[in-house]
Amino acid sequence: MTDTTAPTSSPSSSAASTPSPRPSRHEHGKANIRARAEATWRTLLGIVFVVLAVAILARVSGIDATPWLANLLIVFNSLLIEALPFVLIGAAVSAAIEVYVPASTFEKLGRLPKAAQLPAAGLAGMAFPVCECGSVPVARRLASKGLSTGAAITFMLAAPVLNPIVLISTYVAYRGRDTLLPMVLGRAGLGFIVAVTTGWVVSSLSKGQLLRARPADVVIEDHVDADDSRWRQYIAHLAGDFLFMGRFLILGAFLAAAVQTFVPQSILSGVASLPILSLVAMMALAFLLSLCSESDAFVAASFVQFGVASQLAFLVFGPMMDMKLGAIYTGTFNKGFSRTVAISVGATTLVGCMWIQVFFG
Amino acid sequence: MSEVGQKRWSRSRVATAGVLTAWAVAFWFVLLAGLSPLYLSPRTSWVIPTGAILLSMAAIGRLISMRTSGPPERLSRHEAIVLGLFLLPVALILILPPQTLSAYAVGRRPTFVTGLSTSVSDISTGPLTLLEIAGAQNTRRGLDALATHAGQDVDFTGFVVRTPTTPADEFTLNRFVISCCVADAQRAYIRVVDAPPGKFEVNQWVRVKGTIYPIGRDVILQASSIVPVEKPAQPYLSP
Repeated sequence: MTDTTAPTSSPSSSAASTPSPRPSRHEHGKANIRARAEATWRTLLGIVFVVLAVAILARVSGIDATPWLANLLIVFNSLLIEALPFVLIGAAVSAAIEVYVPASTFEKLGRLPKAAQLPAAGLAGMAFPVCECGSVPVARRLASKGLSTGAAITFMLAAPVLNPIVLISTYVAYRGRDTLLPMVLGRAGLGFIVAVTTGWVVSSLSKGQLLRARPADVVIEDHVDADDSRWRQYIAHLAGDFLFMGRFLILGAFLAAAVQTFVPQSILSGVASLPILSLVAMMALAFLLSLCSESDAFVAASFVQFGVASQLAFLVFGPMMDMKLGAIYTGTFNKGFSRTVAISVGATTLVGCMWIQVFFG
Repeated sequence: MSEVGQKRWSRSRVATAGVLTAWAVAFWFVLLAGLSPLYLSPRTSWVIPTGAILLSMAAIGRLISMRTSGPPERLSRHEAIVLGLFLLPVALILILPPQTLSAYAVGRRPTFVTGLSTSVSDISTGPLTLLEIAGAQNTRRGLDALATHAGQDVDFTGFVVRTPTTPADEFTLNRFVISCCVADAQRAYIRVVDAPPGKFEVNQWVRVKGTIYPIGRDVILQASSIVPVEKPAQPYLSP
């Protein structure tokens, strides 16, 4: 079974009208699955045995004796337990879109003028109260079903910043401070501007240039039989999306946990008073920490040595581009596209926060 | 072509059903064993039952459709190993003893500042908690509000942290504050003086009764009684 939603060839090959002597990535994938050994029942049991052996070994060896390892596993497991249900919710919405919403709906939306589409997609993010891990599978599915690339990406970036739970948590974190209004309104306003700007930057790209072709041996993706009922198709898509996004979440959560274990956050305090460096430092910190957008305001509020603009840079950049999202983007989108999004989100956040720094410090 | 039409077990579907079931079991385990406070704050603990129910539904749906009449579905060894990586965190959650952040994390975490329940009026009027004391230490108004409590008796529980420069009769009493999950943990602490030298070890949980004295940006807890206690079921504070 192959991916039914991602493009079946790389952007370069799809753009070319003449047959290329070089096989596409998808063809490479097909070749790879033929070349790669197939997993037998014994293989599956062997993997389960190895996993259990590693966990039992960790228990027997006494994890308390290795504080850094205990710290790493605590943060890693906590990130997963918090984020996986959101990935599942995102996958459930994504599967519902795939199975129950006709493609013509999104094609009609895709024909609306860009000036109306992008702000509407950004505001639609307010109605999707999940954090960033849930918005990626939905955006991927929206794009694959015919919504314009720009609108799908605007939605993906806006939802984790603009949804009501995030704005309320920001309000709660800054309650009682003079900077309450600049923080809440600044986060909503700048988040919206960054999402729409980035959507506009990528809007000229086609679906083929946006979505990464999944390797053909990712057979767990979208296993749907022609005679499957709709609910069976729904479950197949849900499981496929969850397991595909989940692997990148696991990788990203591990990297974020490693950073939190080995890098003290106090290393940034030296640049707190430097105008532009303080913004870059807080954006870098947001990237490395990979916090959920529904809780990051509490952490941002703790960096009292940094000004409003620096804290806003943390709160706007983090939900759109962090280490776990980077891993998920890399698995979902083409490398060039992920790079474009990273540059656009980073540059727009930086410029916006520089203006805020002029007025609020 | 002869394979099409016969119902057979699909290895890939069995593998995905296994992963979904394992994660559903992990979420139910965390929920039923009362381990939610080790991972999430009360504010976000709803995520665990939600995850358990959703994962169970997805797993049941996949288990029901593990037999297929379509063409054979291949599962490469590479993909099977990737799925195995999904199982590793589950095994760690189920098999390792429950852990909480310790003194190792103290130097790597920011210090908690005024947030949800630590507005200046709360500090001035309400009973003092470690959360309020920690939150008040970073703002002028917070310190002023805290000053009104000078000489007041308090009763705090936390774990001991000492550094090589800590005087023999002192330590800091610490708790971590989480607002969503452990990844956003911040440190709340108070300096304890008049402690019996050498009696308490780093990471040991203790209950300290005594009197607080805000002095400048520092708040001191002069101990009248320090007793070892078990780690509380809710080891993290929440704003």
